Amino acid sequence: MDFLTIGLGKAVPALLYFLRVLVPVITAVTMCGCFSSLKLGRRKEDPVIVLKNTVTHGIIPVLYWENSIGRSRSCDIVLRDSTVSRDHAVLMRRESGWIVTDTGSKSGTFVNGRKIKSATPVMPGDVITMGSTSLSLSRTADVKGLKLKKPYRRQASSPAALLFSASAVQLMFCVQLCLAGEKASLEPLLPFCAVFVMEWGMYFYSVKLLGRVSFELETVAFLLCGIGVMLIAGTGVKNSYTQLAAMLLGVILFCVMIWFLGDLGRVMRWRIVIGALAVLLFAANLVLGKEHNGSKNWIYLGSVSVQPSEFIKIAFVFVGASTLDRLQTAKNLTGFIAFSAICLGALFLMKDFGTACVFFVTFLIIAFMRSGSLRTIALICAVAVFGAFLILKFKPYVAKRFAVWGHVWDDPGGAGYQQTRVLSYAASGGLFGTGLGKGFLKNVFAGSSDLVFGMICEELGLVLAVVVVLSIAMLMFYARSDVTRSRSTFYSISACAAAGIMLFQTCLNVFGATDVLPMTGVTLPFISLGGSSMVSVWGLLAFIKASDERTYAARRKRK
Amino acid sequence: MKTTGRRSLILYILGAAFLFGLGVFLYGFATQGGMWAVQPFNKYITTGVSSQGKVLDRNGTVLAESKNGKRVYSSDETTRRAMLHAVGDTTGYISTGVQYNYRAELSGYNGIMGLVTPNGKAGGDDITLTLDSSLCRLAKKELGSRNGAVAVYNYKTGEMLCMVSTPDFDPENVPSDINTNSKYKGAYLNKVMSAQYTPGSIFKVVTAAAAIENFSDIDSRTWDCSGSITVNGNKITDIKAYGRLHFKDALAKSSNVAFAEMAMELGAEKMTAEANAMGFNSSFSLDGINASKSVYNVAGAEKNELGWSGVGQYTDLASPYHMLVLMGAVANGGTPVMPYIIKNITTPYGTALKSGAAQAGSRLVKAETAERLQRYMRYNVTNAYGDGLFPGLNVCAKTGTAEVGGGKKPNCWMVGYSLNTDTPLAFAVVVEEQSYSIRSAGKVASSVMKAAAKIK
Repeated sequence: MDFLTIGLGKAVPALLYFLRVLVPVITAVTMCGCFSSLKLGRRKEDPVIVLKNTVTHGIIPVLYWENSIGRSRSCDIVLRDSTVSRDHAVLMRRESGWIVTDTGSKSGTFVNGRKIKSATPVMPGDVITMGSTSLSLSRTADVKGLKLKKPYRRQASSPAALLFSASAVQLMFCVQLCLAGEKASLEPLLPFCAVFVMEWGMYFYSVKLLGRVSFELETVAFLLCGIGVMLIAGTGVKNSYTQLAAMLLGVILFCVMIWFLGDLGRVMRWRIVIGALAVLLFAANLVLGKEHNGSKNWIYLGSVSVQPSEFIKIAFVFVGASTLDRLQTAKNLTGFIAFSAICLGALFLMKDFGTACVFFVTFLIIAFMRSGSLRTIALICAVAVFGAFLILKFKPYVAKRFAVWGHVWDDPGGAGYQQTRVLSYAASGGLFGTGLGKGFLKNVFAGSSDLVFGMICEELGLVLAVVVVLSIAMLMFYARSDVTRSRSTFYSISACAAAGIMLFQTCLNVFGATDVLPMTGVTLPFISLGGSSMVSVWGLLAFIKASDERTYAARRKRK
Repeated sequence: MKTTGRRSLILYILGAAFLFGLGVFLYGFATQGGMWAVQPFNKYITTGVSSQGKVLDRNGTVLAESKNGKRVYSSDETTRRAMLHAVGDTTGYISTGVQYNYRAELSGYNGIMGLVTPNGKAGGDDITLTLDSSLCRLAKKELGSRNGAVAVYNYKTGEMLCMVSTPDFDPENVPSDINTNSKYKGAYLNKVMSAQYTPGSIFKVVTAAAAIENFSDIDSRTWDCSGSITVNGNKITDIKAYGRLHFKDALAKSSNVAFAEMAMELGAEKMTAEANAMGFNSSFSLDGINASKSVYNVAGAEKNELGWSGVGQYTDLASPYHMLVLMGAVANGGTPVMPYIIKNITTPYGTALKSGAAQAGSRLVKAETAERLQRYMRYNVTNAYGDGLFPGLNVCAKTGTAEVGGGKKPNCWMVGYSLNTDTPLAFAVVVEEQSYSIRSAGKVASSVMKAAAKIK
């Protein structure tokens, strides 16, 4: 390597600067490619199957995997029949085929003339009777004159090409890091190779072995993780080892969760257990946890420290989300509100204000998506008031952070120390950064975790920092746009909640460090140093991945 | 599922909040990025990673530059010390220094590249000062181990030529006991700009101006100076009994009795009006660096206190920089040309960003009064101080020996200017804890003015 630095000599700084300009461009193009490919690859909103009115011969297209049937206008299939209940039944598509469930109707639901007591499979040709309306199930192919949207002609980018450009970005980071020191070093090749093996290993596992067609979400995640790992490697290559191990665990958790989420029956059976485990974990945290930097949110298992609240986030989403038939039958949220109250209570006892905020916002998203009723909104507000009351109770802890907010420049050596450093070094980096591993913010406390956004700005430049946070925002917008295309409301709600958690954490992290909001000390998803956070964010990503219908398409094809 | 789809729109609130917050940050980055970056704690600046621009004196002598990631100053220690307060230190403790006040320009910050450039080299601008480092060096030598302040400027062009403050320290070898050793007390302070001294007899210029404007019989009046007068049981004293004095001799001999009587006769209102007109209780600045205010406040003062205020004691305070500007005003017929210190700022590509130019301040003295004050101050030098101090310079001046109490020796002042059109120089000199103003401040002023007169 020495010959390289000598050979290139004075060209090295210019070369590195060129790479720093190139990196955000390629990253932005890759991210755009991933999201547009996700958008193009979605199922068209064409009917999955059709229902034929046996009397009028009218055709009702069935657009979703889960469809509520009833008199109410909010139903997916509206029946203008006064003998039909407002929310009468739910027609769902499962691995085994189509299923119909009665959701507490007055007159009951009949399949082929027989009143159903539980979820009953229906085959094409079967007749479902609700009130005085009878509908027969037919395949779309058997019905003539259906308007089908034309398939897109444009080919979405190939997953391999997108992953390849993500790897190229990581290689550029690696080159920057190799040349960062006074003497060129080969050490940074190690984290690069680790990330490279993980992403391509995952690619071959899921695309070649399982035959999945999409890999865009994973590419986005690997690209973001790669940025985080290389940033951490810039503070010392050894510091990245734990992060890489956590990333591997995260990828494994991701795969396991995708498998687990594949069977909705299994998921719904395990929900109570997962909720109970979460409460137990909180209890263990409160008993075993040791106070660290003012909050008690860590458990030490030998030399490994774990932050249980990160994993409880996943459990929280599990408990909160639900399939449409359950949403229609159990409309009140009592159980979920009780569970949320326990979680928030535990977090307040741990004095982990940032995570409590994340849980509260997640609760709001899930509660609204489940009920959407004014009554629930009132309930939510009551909870918010309760939350505010609790915050006031912990006033000395929270109030201190609020007092500094907006006044960080009044005391740059004291209360505003971290934020002023972030702003100063972020501005020092300009649009393209001062170079990977060459920053000073890494020496400030929590530089590569709570203040990591400042580190991206400083070392890699403002442009890349904006691309990174916009990518996380795009994940949220993608999850939202895919809601009605997923295989169940369970997937829709969990994906929205998971993406909401990621974006809200991004807000708290980025705006806390830059004094737009008070500092709360949460991690930046995928990027921040922190094992628990890294593992958990892959778990959250699994929810978004599972909500994409194509994730499980391959298995269907095989059958 | 349709309903779930509609309800998921709630996420747009979060998305909008995120975009709004990002907008706030980016707006701050665009508008305040320079302020954020050029903080004294920023290690890109203090460790010289972004090597800053040079600071040069009027002749192009390098006073400060970045070499191999370190800020280095002039190779001569006396020059380093003499220029310390004008140039500033590396850590930014001297807040009146150019390195602190012009750190954005020196660091070369710009919104696109931040503090670094593609070639890894300096992007900083160079700043050339109007100061003459050899003149400052001479002033520093003349002050020696004594504390004080020396300022000289060209009252026609506004160029500041000399600005020296002591005590000082060597910015390249900052003493480890700088914060504890009493000999460094005030070392971070540029006394020309930031100090407030009791003016003593130099304030008589103000009382004199008030008397000129209010007593029509000023040249025919006499004052009986018998060594002391007693007002309200409090004695106002002179060094000796001068006997009966005309106005110009009262000023030249600097009789406290005469000027205290004038102040008492004029009254608090007229005295305050005159002091305020001449720039007391007002702010002055030098290229954005604010000077301390001079203070004249006789609200609620007893008669004897009013008398003392007329001779520059009581609670009177004067900033050397303001005194310099006041001398420039008298020399210019009442309206000063404001001093400046930045000759020009040039980018690494050679383009000039800013260059200093003569700029008139607001009128401090009426034209007639200025003309008479000039005559009296010239008489001070020819008849009392000795013209030999400033050979050929035709200097008008006033000295002061300000009592500071607390068992300390007085602070000695000399302020004035040269009448010659080819040496339009005004000066203000203070030397702390001395006995005789001519022998201390006068001697410093003499050498500095003689040298300054040779500057082209």
